[in-house]
Amino acid sequence: MAIITVRGVTKDYQLGKTIVPALRGVDLTVEAGEFLSIAGPSGSGKTTLLNLIGCVDTPTAGSVEVDGRDTRKLSERQLTDLRLHTIGFIFQSFNLVQVLSVFQNVEFPLLLQGGAGKAERSARVLGLLEAMGIREYATHRPSELSGGQRQRVAVARALVTRPKLVLADEPTANLDSQTGQNIIDLMRDMNRKDGTTFVFSTHDPKVMAHASALVRIADGQVAAREQLNGQA
Amino acid sequence: MSQRLDTLRVLLRIAVRNLVASRVRTVILGLIVLIGSLIVVVGASVMDSIDRGMRTSIQGSLGGQLQVYAASSKDPLALYGGMMGMSRLDAIDDFAKVKEVLLKVPEVKAVVPMGIDQALVATGNAFDQALERLRGDARRVVAGEAGPEVQAGYQKRKAHVRRMVDLLASDLKQALAIVDQEGRDAPERRKQGEDLRRASADAFWAGFDADPFAALEFLENRIAPLVMDSGFTFIRYVGTDVEAFMKAFELARVAKGEPIPPGRRGILLGKQYAEEWLKLRNARRLDQIKDARDRFGRRLAKDEELQRWAREMLGRIREIELQLDPVEAEAVALALAPALGAPEGEPLPGLLTRLFTVDDATFDARYRLFYEVLAPRLRLYQISVGDTITIKAPGKSGAFNSVNVKVYGMVEYRGIEKSGIAGNTSIMDLQSFRDLYGFMTKEKQAELARLKAGLGAREVGRDEAEAVLFGAAAPVAEAAQAAAIDERALLAGVGEKRASAVAAADRVYAQDEIDQGVALNAAVILQDPRRLEQTRADIARASDAAGLGLKVMDWQEASGMVGQFVFMLRTILIVAVLIFFAVALVIINNAMVMAALQRVKEIGTMRAIGAQKGFVTWMLLIEVAAVGLFFGLLGAALGGGVVALIRASGGIPAYTDLLFFLFSGPALLPKLDPASVVLSLLVVLSVSVLSGLYPAWIALKVTPVEAMASEE
Repeated sequence: MAIITVRGVTKDYQLGKTIVPALRGVDLTVEAGEFLSIAGPSGSGKTTLLNLIGCVDTPTAGSVEVDGRDTRKLSERQLTDLRLHTIGFIFQSFNLVQVLSVFQNVEFPLLLQGGAGKAERSARVLGLLEAMGIREYATHRPSELSGGQRQRVAVARALVTRPKLVLADEPTANLDSQTGQNIIDLMRDMNRKDGTTFVFSTHDPKVMAHASALVRIADGQVAAREQLNGQA
Repeated sequence: MSQRLDTLRVLLRIAVRNLVASRVRTVILGLIVLIGSLIVVVGASVMDSIDRGMRTSIQGSLGGQLQVYAASSKDPLALYGGMMGMSRLDAIDDFAKVKEVLLKVPEVKAVVPMGIDQALVATGNAFDQALERLRGDARRVVAGEAGPEVQAGYQKRKAHVRRMVDLLASDLKQALAIVDQEGRDAPERRKQGEDLRRASADAFWAGFDADPFAALEFLENRIAPLVMDSGFTFIRYVGTDVEAFMKAFELARVAKGEPIPPGRRGILLGKQYAEEWLKLRNARRLDQIKDARDRFGRRLAKDEELQRWAREMLGRIREIELQLDPVEAEAVALALAPALGAPEGEPLPGLLTRLFTVDDATFDARYRLFYEVLAPRLRLYQISVGDTITIKAPGKSGAFNSVNVKVYGMVEYRGIEKSGIAGNTSIMDLQSFRDLYGFMTKEKQAELARLKAGLGAREVGRDEAEAVLFGAAAPVAEAAQAAAIDERALLAGVGEKRASAVAAADRVYAQDEIDQGVALNAAVILQDPRRLEQTRADIARASDAAGLGLKVMDWQEASGMVGQFVFMLRTILIVAVLIFFAVALVIINNAMVMAALQRVKEIGTMRAIGAQKGFVTWMLLIEVAAVGLFFGLLGAALGGGVVALIRASGGIPAYTDLLFFLFSGPALLPKLDPASVVLSLLVVLSVSVLSGLYPAWIALKVTPVEAMASEE
């Protein structure tokens, strides 16, 4: 079953008086449970495509369906809800809330969702921190952690709502290669264990190699879609 | 519900943590809020207390709760004088009718008629007074009352007058010596010189007893005019139903003397008026310096005004000398010399100069010395209780009317004794006011008729005028004789003419007579002052229904400039607070905009993760509201502390007359009003939320895409 269906999507940006096309007609289908890497040089449109899939941006033309819902037909509020309940985000520069502790950062989406009791929230957050190997830092502030540790917190935050889909834009770009490797391994573990779909962009060939599938983008179009073995 | 609570909790947590994270910004914003709320709390408390004080002062001294006056008047009523002096009011012709109608209005407890005006009062000078007393003694001696005390008094007064003449002669010697011998008034000046020489010569006094009245005549006509003291002063009075007035205005009380007996003519002088205008200048200056030193800690060494007052006293020593007869002068000199450390036998002027040369170290001792040694021998006030004074005022027609009224006592207003605003007003009976103001009372009409008859006045027709007025030609020249003034004959005539005035002074007027006649305005006293607005409308309706043509004003309006001053004070405070908060708004807004812009990425992230727009908006609003609430409370608490501190230190002293009146006492003790605390919190909260709106709007506009931007 396809969790993402992108059909004939174009995206133009207005830059002063000129219109810059970022995507020029992309078709892409991602099946549930995939561990998909989007690769391509800078400016090829990777981030734009991820933003469209993540419902934080809307296409100029074409349609994006996430979890069976056509994003064009959703209101701003519904899109926000879709992000909250269905999608998890991991950012290149971690984007943690500086004034909250590690625990509170991870708990944050649960509080936005509401519904989970205090005990349940605590169990889920601590469970994930355990899995990420950063449980001892639960009460620390992000500024007290290293880059790799912060990205682990970010991963935990993306996973805490048990989303069907996790999007990661260059999750390893700000990490050294060993730490980046570890993060990808963690994500891969989660993918295998829970069947969560991961879509991440990267231009690092070593990272790409871990993916189950690889989509190459060039000049705003899909250049190739390859099926990989993706050994961990 | 618990979900909302959780969200709120996380919002609060983020807000507080953000505030703690940027401490400097928070403290600066907090201080602004704190000062704002402090100003509001203290300002509102002080204004409230001034309001209360003013209410007490005005309602209790002259205003009552409401005032009515003729609607046809051009000027508005101004109880304490307006910008242009006294306001001109049309008269209420029949006060009795007004009283009758208004008393039927519910809540009206009393209606007090009033006529407020200014007049001149003759005070005479020390020389005139001394001559007057001497004349009295002379009369008794001549009449044959030859007791030893009468003789002693007569001799004493005579010595006093002679001393005054000597002092005057020495004062004027130089002035007369430098007269331009060729000038137009040179003959008159020479004559004055001769007169003075004659009056101070031993021969004049040796011959005094032979014909005292002739000698007195000479002194009165030729010497007294050389004394340059003015003999008139202004007086502000309210002509009223005195009995009703004293009952209605609880602050008024007789401070000296006795109340005017019911129905009698008479006047109670404003105590403060007497202090300021009638008191011996040097005594007044001593009082003022003492007050400035005791109450405000002012010092002669540093205060230019006090130094001026002290200098002024030295120039007015002669005034005191003039009041003492030779025996008293000697006694005073004897008592003063040791106390002042002066050499024995130093003459009185030197001693007085020593006495009034004061500095901070000696002032208190000198003050005591003056009041213990000198004051008992002096006439401290130009008018004393028990005197009958002549009051003159231009009536409606422009011609001067005058009445003689007995001074029964002095009136002061409890709590605002030292303020001239109320205390300068004397209280006079209504009949005398009507006479002064030029309204024809029944009595007056009768008197006029009597006078006409007495003088043989009659109507003269045009055709017979010449014959009647000039009559047949008769030799006129032989009628001219040396004019000799026969004192006794004159006195007898005066006695008869005065009969009607004496009768008026002794007459007791019935309530009807007091009520029936004119008044300029009337104070309305209510049972329940809180029902003022309602009653005001009721009175206006009743007046219209009865065709009285009255205008109704509340006490604050009626107080004229005084009320306006408080209005101004309040306006200044409000404008200052508004400006302050406008600046605060800009500063807080700027700081929060900066904060919002700094957090664009964080806000974008939250939005991407699934926070709705409302969430991030609230995040910023709660942040400023938290600053507002916390520091607002702190400021209010501090304001309460300031108010308590002011109270503990004895309040804000009333530096001026007006403040004394507004504070209704020597100091303002502000009271912390819970309403002002609530008000300050409301103001501070709304200002901070208002200044958070634009930053919140910025947050609203942040798109989740911002989170993806990959700088660093």
